[in-house]
Amino acid sequence: MKQMKQSTLRRLISIAMLVVLIILFSALAGTKFLNANNFIEIVRDTSVVAIVGVGVTYAIITAGIDLSTGSIMAVVGMTMANIYAYTLWPIPIMILLGLIVGVLCGLFNGYIIGKIGIPEFIGTLATMTIFRAVTYIIAVKDANGVIMSQPMNISTYAVLGYAIGPFYFVVLAMIFFVVAGQILLKYTRLGTNIYAVGANKKAAALSGIDVAKTRMIVYTIVGLCAAVGSVFTTARLQSATTAIGDGFEFNPIAAAVVGGVALSGGSGDVVGMLIGALFMATLESGVQKLDMNNAYQYVIKGVIIILVVMFDAAYKNRMDRAAKEQGAKEGME
Amino acid sequence: MANHETILEAKGIYKSFSGVPVLQDVRFEVRRGEVHALMGENGAGKSTLIKIITGVYTKDDGQIYWEGKPVEINNYQDCQKLGVACIYQELSVIPPLTVAQNVFLGREPKNAFGLIDHKKMNEMTQELIDKYEFPLKPTTIVDNLGIGQRQLIEILKGLSQNSKLLIMDEPTASLSGKEAEMLFRIITTLREQNVSIIYISHRLEEVYRLSDRLTILRDGKNEAVLQKEEIVPAKVIKTMIGKEVDESAGSKKMLHSEDTEVRLDVQNLTDKADRFRNISFQVHRGEILGFGGLIGAGRTELVRAIYGVDQAQSGTVILDGKTLSPSPKNSILAGIGFVPEDRRNQGFIPLLSTTRNVALTNYDILPKNGLSVSDAAELEMSKKAISSIDIRPADPGKQVGVMSGGNQQKVVLGKWLMRDLNLLIVDEPTAGIDVGAKDEIYRILEDLARQGVAVIVVTSDLQELIRVSHRILVMRKGDIVKEFKNVEVTQSKVLAAGQGVAEEEEAS
Amino acid sequence: MKNFNLTKYSKPLILLVFIIVLTILRPSTFLTVSNFANVLWSISVIGIMVCGTIFVFLIGGIDLSIATLCGFCAVVTVKTITYFHNSTGGVFAGILAALAVGAAAGCLHGIVITRFHIPAFLVTFATQSIFLGLSMIVTSNKIISCTEPAAFTAIGAKKILGFPLPIYLMILIAALAWYVLRKTEFGRYIYAVGGNATAAEISGINVRRSTVLCYVFSGLTTALGGVILASMTQQAMASTGSGYTNDVITAGVIGGVSLLGGEGTVLGAMFGAVLMGLLNNGLNLMSVPSTHAGLVKGLVIIIAVGFDALQHTDQARKKVKKIVKKEA
Repeated sequence: MKQMKQSTLRRLISIAMLVVLIILFSALAGTKFLNANNFIEIVRDTSVVAIVGVGVTYAIITAGIDLSTGSIMAVVGMTMANIYAYTLWPIPIMILLGLIVGVLCGLFNGYIIGKIGIPEFIGTLATMTIFRAVTYIIAVKDANGVIMSQPMNISTYAVLGYAIGPFYFVVLAMIFFVVAGQILLKYTRLGTNIYAVGANKKAAALSGIDVAKTRMIVYTIVGLCAAVGSVFTTARLQSATTAIGDGFEFNPIAAAVVGGVALSGGSGDVVGMLIGALFMATLESGVQKLDMNNAYQYVIKGVIIILVVMFDAAYKNRMDRAAKEQGAKEGME
Repeated sequence: MANHETILEAKGIYKSFSGVPVLQDVRFEVRRGEVHALMGENGAGKSTLIKIITGVYTKDDGQIYWEGKPVEINNYQDCQKLGVACIYQELSVIPPLTVAQNVFLGREPKNAFGLIDHKKMNEMTQELIDKYEFPLKPTTIVDNLGIGQRQLIEILKGLSQNSKLLIMDEPTASLSGKEAEMLFRIITTLREQNVSIIYISHRLEEVYRLSDRLTILRDGKNEAVLQKEEIVPAKVIKTMIGKEVDESAGSKKMLHSEDTEVRLDVQNLTDKADRFRNISFQVHRGEILGFGGLIGAGRTELVRAIYGVDQAQSGTVILDGKTLSPSPKNSILAGIGFVPEDRRNQGFIPLLSTTRNVALTNYDILPKNGLSVSDAAELEMSKKAISSIDIRPADPGKQVGVMSGGNQQKVVLGKWLMRDLNLLIVDEPTAGIDVGAKDEIYRILEDLARQGVAVIVVTSDLQELIRVSHRILVMRKGDIVKEFKNVEVTQSKVLAAGQGVAEEEEAS
Repeated sequence: MKNFNLTKYSKPLILLVFIIVLTILRPSTFLTVSNFANVLWSISVIGIMVCGTIFVFLIGGIDLSIATLCGFCAVVTVKTITYFHNSTGGVFAGILAALAVGAAAGCLHGIVITRFHIPAFLVTFATQSIFLGLSMIVTSNKIISCTEPAAFTAIGAKKILGFPLPIYLMILIAALAWYVLRKTEFGRYIYAVGGNATAAEISGINVRRSTVLCYVFSGLTTALGGVILASMTQQAMASTGSGYTNDVITAGVIGGVSLLGGEGTVLGAMFGAVLMGLLNNGLNLMSVPSTHAGLVKGLVIIIAVGFDALQHTDQARKKVKKIVKKEA
């Protein structure tokens, strides 16, 4: 009790960053930014990032990364588009098959990382191009063989993009994923194992944890999350194109990093990632409402990630040293 | 206190590695509720014995009994099931988790929904903590704890599995004095609770203080089992070294050194992390200065600071009258060579050839064609190194990573022989290498000294220390505690100094 | 030992097989001088960029910002030239500006990575976004075309002895990189740092400075690639160079450069670039859309790195066994 828990302090810092950002934009853009509808929009824009972010958070806690989420979304979207275009199967079956494809993509990542031992960022960088290429290969084509955007506007599907009152379905799904994701992380053996693998693989193995299996499960979960993200994205757009999720992989990683999920592994949680995702969506919205060139958000996001990571690295260094000194002192009591 | 019921007994244990006997007819017995220390010089067979008990190695012959019944232990799980827990030197706690989560890792209690029952887990941990009086709290995140407390978590983990025997291998090696005190208190409590402990340590004072009985191994054989009242430092040292060894030629020497011109002058060198403090000494032209002491006495840290790999807090290093500004580059240019302790991780570049490794520190003296390094000169240097210290295979293009330990060390050493040295520092120069290569390395060090180079040798091998040194300094807990100069030195004298055993006591 | 020989000759062998297959499949179009000139021209940008990034790979780092930095440098070049009213002097200013940006970016990467011990992939992952944003800001998200002056368009298209200028530039840069890595003291140090940074430090090598320099080299060749790409297409926009990060990494990996550091040669990397060019060209001749090539490229990375990784774990296992045996 002598000092605040490191993770609590980090949580407070991310919340403070979010609050400062909201105050800043409110001051600069006034009611254009500060109104209920805008906040509903911000939360809606946060949702897909946060859903995919649950899986990505797991991956980062195991000291990994996943760069292929955007491409998995594309494959899943295009799978569903094919079913939509060429079959009369019911919508739930279409969605189910889409999710299965996402899980398989994740499983493939998990296999090459967990079993073969390819470094995470190289492996998922490779599958990022593979899944994108597959998307082009299976893309729905018109009579002349030219890739086209497949409309998916049947009401039973498009309804997923709608809202009940102020609550979009995607927001409800996000809430479900964040809550379930946090529970899985904190109250199941898998969750504990994820932390253990990220903090110290050797020690985890010594304690009887199957490291390869844990990593495989984690990347499979990422695949599932990306697939769900794809379902909501295509439902909102009411169409599927080969460009779905292009560059998307950046967002959940950025959200997690800003929310205090350390890339060195073993720390952070889903709630932190959610705050990070809200921060990023707020930033986007603010840049828009200030009528700034949309491009500024890319620069600002990049700079913020570097600053946050630099801060975390320096801070961790200090805390480690403090812990050592504390340990030496406490021996005495 | 200890009763006389035997909990673990190993009888007639034999073990050899590729024909070399490591344990011969070893008998080892631990009673319920006793702290049983296990001592012996490096290579006496302590760790092999422990690895047989914990199922890491299989024994060649012999039988292990647990609570009187013969048992087979084929892996660590087997030994855990019996109730034996090993506290690894390399800690296996998971920092981001709480104390309770670590203690019950993989065995978490669950509630009706199949989720982890944190409340119950914390209560169970608290019960254990109360029972054994550990200064811990179940909900603390391990990240915020020091090494000493992390070790306690390991112990707690063992106890939570109802272990009746704990094995502690050099538990105080990386602890501060205060943390060690805490551990000793816990050990005393555990003993009162009838938990047995095998305590392996090089530090005599700890053994003296804690243990009920002491088994000493020497050269893979039982040397003695001492009762509490028999554990007297002088006696233990004598037993560990062995009378006949101490009298033999290899472990006794009349040191001889002359105060020729001072080459290295170290003044008041103090470490940032307090691993050594206020160290002052000199090394003379043509002198081999040996550093003795226990592992962790601060010798490695001291020589690293002299060479400039680590920055010292304060103090000066003067070589041939010039003050050095510490950095490896400056040291090399000033004519200092350094052979680090951890050969594989610090000594050489495994993927590169002998030629590239030998040349690595010598590009300032290799001839150049304009900007480019002369491949021919590089190769010639490598061939010279290979032939002058007999590196095998004699192939300059061979990757050093795939060579034997002895030859790797020759490559590491060889690169320094290619330039004019004023001072050579070698840290554990022959650890893990064969006898032939050892002799070769001693010869090289002696040759260098004859040429006027000042040589510093840090070694934990007492025989080696006495064999090569002209003068010996002994360090203990970061201070130089003893100098042997122009006197007769024996292994037991050096050991006693490193252990902090007073001289009168040692003589008695 | 059998394996060793196989690896040694595998590269020319793969190249040969590739050429034979393509010759048989497309006899009239593939095996022609103009097609080869075409292949080399198409890989020249990748070839030049891999010559710089190989330094980063060799020290065990990575650069994920190649594509957007390349785009930003292209934008900077074109913007500078138009600022100087498309004069020949403006071309020099444009090239210098691009190189300065590239060097500064590399310097930034190197310093952040070494000072704060942040993984290279994360730093370059973040800066990739920054460079993209900067390009978009400078161009207002439009295509900026630049068809004047001749000195500019010549960089990417002028033919000398039947081969376009970028091919000569690629050969020049490759020779330079080869020289630095193979012949100079600094090159020796790079391999040492990548092979064992601690041992390199003890051997008196300034690991931090070497690392920063490697990222600067990477930035410089990326900038040069951007200049050439802008000249080839006579335009620049934010998406110029997109996809090049993967192409450059793939070229390196195919060429036997280990992403774990310490292993790889410029010749190997150039081989990788050529093979990638042939791959693209072959798929093109067989009317496979370029968007599908990613499947092959990605699989190549997985197979090459996977092989590496499996070998490493295999070696590690053997090593452990050896040590256990030796512990007598």
